Amino acid sequence: MREQLDQLRNGAMQAIAAASSVEQLQDIRVRLLGRKGELTALMKGLGGLAADERPVVGQLVNTVRDEIESALGAAIVSAQEQVIAVRLQSERIDISLPGRRPLKGTKHPVTLVIEEICSIFSGLGFAVAEGPEIEHDWYNFEALNFPPEHPARDMQDTFFVENNMLLRTHTSPVQIRTMLKQKPPLRIIAPGTVYRCDSDATHSPMFHQIEGLMVDTGVTFGDLKGILTVFTNQLFGQKTGVRLRPSYFPFTEPSAEVDIACVICGGKGCRVCKNTGWLEILGAGMVDPEVYRHVQYDAENISGFAFGMGIERIAMLKYGISDMRLLFENDVRFLRQF
Amino acid sequence: MNVTYNWLKEFVDFDATPDELAALLTMLGLEVESMAKLGAGLDDVVVALVEEKRQHPNADKLSLCRVNNGTEVVDVVCGAQNFNQGDTVALAQIGAVLPGDFKIKKSKIRGEESFGMLCSEKELGLAEESAGIMVLQPSVAPLGTPVFAALGRKDTIFEIGLTPNRSDCLSVVGIARDIAAKLDLKIKHPHSTLVEGSEKVDSIIGVTVENTELCPRYAARYISGCKIAPSPEWLVKRLGDIGIRSINNVVDVTNLIMMELGQPLHAFDCQQLAGNRIVVRTAEDGELFTTLDNQQRVLNSADLVVCDAERPVALAGVMGGLNSEIESTTTSILLESAFFKPSAIRKTSKRLGLHTESSHRFERGIDIDGVGRALDRAASLIVELAGGVLANGSIDVYPGKSERTAIAFRPEKANELIGINLERAVILDILTRLECHITNCADGSVAVIPPHYRIDIEREIDLIEEIARLNGYDKIPATMPIARVVSDRPSRHQETERRVRDLLVNNGMTEIINFSFTAPDAAGKLLLSEDDPRHIAIKLANPLVDEQSVMRTTLLPGLLETTARNMNFRSLDLKLFEMRRVYFPGDGEDMPREPLCIVGAITGSRDGDGWSRPNEAVDFFDAKGIVETVLDALDVGGVSWVTENTEPYFHPGKSCRVFSGREQIGSVGELHPLVQKNFEIEKPVFCFELNFEKLVQLSKTKKTILAPSKFPDSSRDIAMLIPEELAAVKIVECIRMEKSKEIEHVQIFDVYRGKGVPDGYKSVAVRIRYRSFERTLAEEEISALHKKIVTSLTDKLQVTVR
Repeated sequence: MREQLDQLRNGAMQAIAAASSVEQLQDIRVRLLGRKGELTALMKGLGGLAADERPVVGQLVNTVRDEIESALGAAIVSAQEQVIAVRLQSERIDISLPGRRPLKGTKHPVTLVIEEICSIFSGLGFAVAEGPEIEHDWYNFEALNFPPEHPARDMQDTFFVENNMLLRTHTSPVQIRTMLKQKPPLRIIAPGTVYRCDSDATHSPMFHQIEGLMVDTGVTFGDLKGILTVFTNQLFGQKTGVRLRPSYFPFTEPSAEVDIACVICGGKGCRVCKNTGWLEILGAGMVDPEVYRHVQYDAENISGFAFGMGIERIAMLKYGISDMRLLFENDVRFLRQF
Repeated sequence: MNVTYNWLKEFVDFDATPDELAALLTMLGLEVESMAKLGAGLDDVVVALVEEKRQHPNADKLSLCRVNNGTEVVDVVCGAQNFNQGDTVALAQIGAVLPGDFKIKKSKIRGEESFGMLCSEKELGLAEESAGIMVLQPSVAPLGTPVFAALGRKDTIFEIGLTPNRSDCLSVVGIARDIAAKLDLKIKHPHSTLVEGSEKVDSIIGVTVENTELCPRYAARYISGCKIAPSPEWLVKRLGDIGIRSINNVVDVTNLIMMELGQPLHAFDCQQLAGNRIVVRTAEDGELFTTLDNQQRVLNSADLVVCDAERPVALAGVMGGLNSEIESTTTSILLESAFFKPSAIRKTSKRLGLHTESSHRFERGIDIDGVGRALDRAASLIVELAGGVLANGSIDVYPGKSERTAIAFRPEKANELIGINLERAVILDILTRLECHITNCADGSVAVIPPHYRIDIEREIDLIEEIARLNGYDKIPATMPIARVVSDRPSRHQETERRVRDLLVNNGMTEIINFSFTAPDAAGKLLLSEDDPRHIAIKLANPLVDEQSVMRTTLLPGLLETTARNMNFRSLDLKLFEMRRVYFPGDGEDMPREPLCIVGAITGSRDGDGWSRPNEAVDFFDAKGIVETVLDALDVGGVSWVTENTEPYFHPGKSCRVFSGREQIGSVGELHPLVQKNFEIEKPVFCFELNFEKLVQLSKTKKTILAPSKFPDSSRDIAMLIPEELAAVKIVECIRMEKSKEIEHVQIFDVYRGKGVPDGYKSVAVRIRYRSFERTLAEEEISALHKKIVTSLTDKLQVTVR
C-alpha cells in the first residue's frame, strides 16, 4: 500500500511537471483525485487493512493527496499566468487610429455667451426674464422715456410693423414688463433678440442683447459699478480693468458707457481698441425716475440700476472674431469650432 | 461734432496736451471718437531756402537745387516750376513720412542725387489741390523750423460723439464751457463790437411771426452795401479743419458762428425778398418750395416756413431757399437768428430726409437766450469781412420771454444715489462752476436755476448726474449692493429650453441662428396649400431688403437655405438645428404670437468618413430617433406617429406627423424632391419639427420609478410575414394589448425583404422578454403565455408566423 502510494505520488508529480496547459492539469486532477480517480480507488482499499494500520495509512493518503493538490494548484496558476502572458504578448492594436466617437454637436456662440452671462448673473441672484420681440411703441420707447419726436429715437433705427407695433430695438422693454408685474425687490437679467434698421460690416439688422435690472432700497451708482466689475472679471478674467464714463440713455440717469481694458492688447493700445486701450461693452445707469412713474413705482423710496449689452460684441471679443457676419452665416466649419 | 485744440484754447486757457484733453473730454461724457493731429510726424518737413537752382543735365522738366535747411546745404531734384532761387520753401528731409505713408529717402533721379523733396500743400495734407510747391513768406520762421509750427498749423482735430441730450455742446464755446467747469477755469467769451449805421432796421424790414408756438423767437439784422467775396485764408482754414467747405465771406461767417456758438443763422439776399417783409408761418398742404440744394420739396401744414411778402424763402431751421440765397451780386443781407421748436424741425427734417447742421441743432434744442448774441457777433463779423453798413438796432420778436424755474435739490440725495460722500460745499461748488444760480433754502435743500443753454437740466436727478459727472465717475467707489433674497429659479419653460438644446447638441446636432425675417415667398417654396396659416406673415413696414421683409412663420426655409449653403462649401454630412421663435399675427388687438419652435435637418453619412465603421447614409429613422430622444427625455407620453395628411414639403411615403394624445407636436420626414429642388439641394435631407410650447405643456414633471425585478428573464422570438402596408408597430401594440405583467420588453429586431419573402410582404422579427417581479417564471408558464401572444397576433393581424 505504501509502495503504491509512493508510486502514485511520483507518477503524479511527473505528469504535473510535464503538463503544458490548464486543461491537461485539470485532466490529471480528475484522473487521480476525481470520484473514479486512482487515489480515490486507493482510499477505498483502506477498509481491507488491519485496524491499527488504517489510521497511519489514512494519514499517508491524505498527505499524498495534499501534496498532489498543492502541486496541481501551483501548476494551474502558473499555466494560467502563462496563457495571459502569451495573450498580452501577442495582442497589439494601433492606438494611433482615431477614437470612435459620437458626432459632436455645438451650440451657437450667441447661445453660449447668453448662457454664460445668465449663469454669472444667476450666481448674483438675478432671475432670467423674457418678453416679446414684436412690441408696442409704449414699452419699447415711451415708458422708457423716449417721447415721440425725441432725437434720442435716432439712436435706434426702428423696424415698424402694422398696428403701431415695432420690432423691439433693445431688450429694455422687458424692464417695463417686469416692473409692471412685480414690486421691488427685483433683480432680473433678460436676454433676447433685437432688431435695428441698419446693416453694414459692424451692424446686423438682427442681433442679441442682455438687459439687467436691479431695483431695491438704497441701491447706488457705486453698486452698479461693483456688480459690473464682478461681472466683467468673471466673463473676461480676474482684474480686467473696468471704466465707467458719462453717457446718455433716456431711461437711466446718471448714465454710463462701460469700457473694459482691451482684452486683445491688455490696455496698451491696438487696432481693436483703436489705440485707446479700452473697449466699450455695455451701457448702464441708474433707472430714471420717469421710468418709475410709468410703472407706478415710488422713485423717492426705491432706487435701482439697469444695464444692457450686445451679445455679438462680447462673443466677438471672447472668441476673437473680427467680422460679425460670420455669426449669422451658419457655416458649420465655423460653428463646429465652438 | 468736430472741434480743434487751438480753437478751444481761444476760449479757455487749459494746460492739457491734446491727448490729455481727449481723455478729459471722454470722461466728461463728450466722447472723443477720433483725433487727427495736423502735422503729426511731419517735424522733418522744415522751412528751407533755395540757394541755387539750375537745370537738371538729363531732364528738361527737372531742376537741381541747393537747399539750406538751417544746418547744412543739400542737393534736391525738383520737378516743380513755380519757384526761383532765393525762395523759402518746405523741405521734406530724408526720414520724413508724408501723408499716405510716403517715405522720403535718398534717391537718384536721372543720374543726379536728391536728399529730400520740396513739398506742395497737397503733399502735406494742407490743401485738396495745389499747383506746384509751397512757397513760404521769407520771414515765416528761421530755417530748419518745422513747417507746420512755422505756419501755426500745428493743431489737433477732435471728433466728438455727442449724446442727444448735450445740445449745449454742439459748439466750440459749449465744449469750452464744460472744460472750464471741470478744470475750474474761467471762460473767455468771444467778443464783438457792433458799429451800426443811422438807419433804423424797422424802417427797412418788417417781421411778423404768425406761429409763435413753433417759432418763439425770431431776431434779424440788416446789412446794406456789402460785397460778397471769397473768405480770408484764416476763415477758410478754420472751417476746413472741421470739415466745412468755404462758400463766400457771408455764408462762411454764418457757419463759423454756428460752430462757435451753436446758433444756426441764415443770410437772405434782401434784394430777392419781396415787400421787404418776413413772415414766419406754417406751410400750406401741398405747397411747393425749392431748397438751396435745388430740390423741389412738397410741404405740409406741419412744416414751418420763413416767407417774404409773397412766398416761402426758407424752410425754417432746415435749409434756405434757392430763391433768396447769397450770390456774388448780393449787396444787402437780412441775417436771421431764431429759435424754432425742436419737435417741429425734427418732423420736417425726418419727413423730407433733409438733415442739416442747422436742423441737427434746432431739433436738439438751442439756447433761446443766445439768439441775439449770435446775431450781433455774426453781423459785426460780416461787416468786418464784407464791408457795408449795419442798420441801427435789431428786430427781435420774442413775445413770451422764457425764464427758467428753480429746481429743488438735496445735496445729500446726490451722495445717497451716487454712493459717494461729498461735502455740501463741494457739491454746490460744482453747480456754481456749471453756471447754475444757487439759493439755499430753509429746509437745507437748494434752489438751483440752471443756465439757459443747459436745456437738459430740468429735474433734481439731472443735477445729481452733473455732480457725478463733474466730480468724476472714476472717483465713485465700486461697492456690492445689500440685497433682499428673491427666488430666481429658472421657469419651467427656460429650463426645458436649455435641456432640449443640450440634448440636441449631445446628439451631434449643430445649432444655427438665422434672421427672424425672411423673403415673402419663403413659405411658398415649401409647397404649402393656399389656406395654410403659415402664409400669413407679419410684414415689416420699412424692410431693408425684400429678402428680409416678413417675419418668419416657419424655421424650415432658413434651415434648408443653410443646408444648401453648407453643401455648396462641401460640408456634406450635416446635422443642423435651429431653436427660435416664429411669428404669427395676433387676433384683432392681441399681441402677435411668438411660439418657440425647433427644426432639425440631417443629411449625408451617419458617422462621417472613418476607418472603422461602414459609411452609411442617414435616413428617416435617424431623424425620428432624435425626436424620440427628445420626447423620451421630456417624458412626453402617448406618442403616436401618423402617416395621414403629412406636411406637403415631405415625401408622402417617408413622413409622419407626431402626436402626443390628440395634440400634434411635430412632424418628421424626408424632404419632398420638389422642395429639395426649390432650395437647390442635391442630396436627400431628413427633417423634423417640434412645437416647443406644446412640449413644455405635455412634458410630465413627475416620474414613477420602479425597482428592478430580482428574478431571471427569458426571451422568445417571433418571426412573421406581414403585408407591406401593415405598420410594424401594430405588432408591438398588439403584444402590449395583452397587458401581461410578465412582458418586460418588446423589441423589433429585424425587418427583412427579399429572398424567401413574397412581394408585398415584409418579414418582421420581434423579441419578447418575459420576467416577473414576484418569482422565477417556469418554462411552461412562459411557453403558454408566448403561445397566447402568437395566437392573438395571427387572429388580430394578418400575420403569418414563420
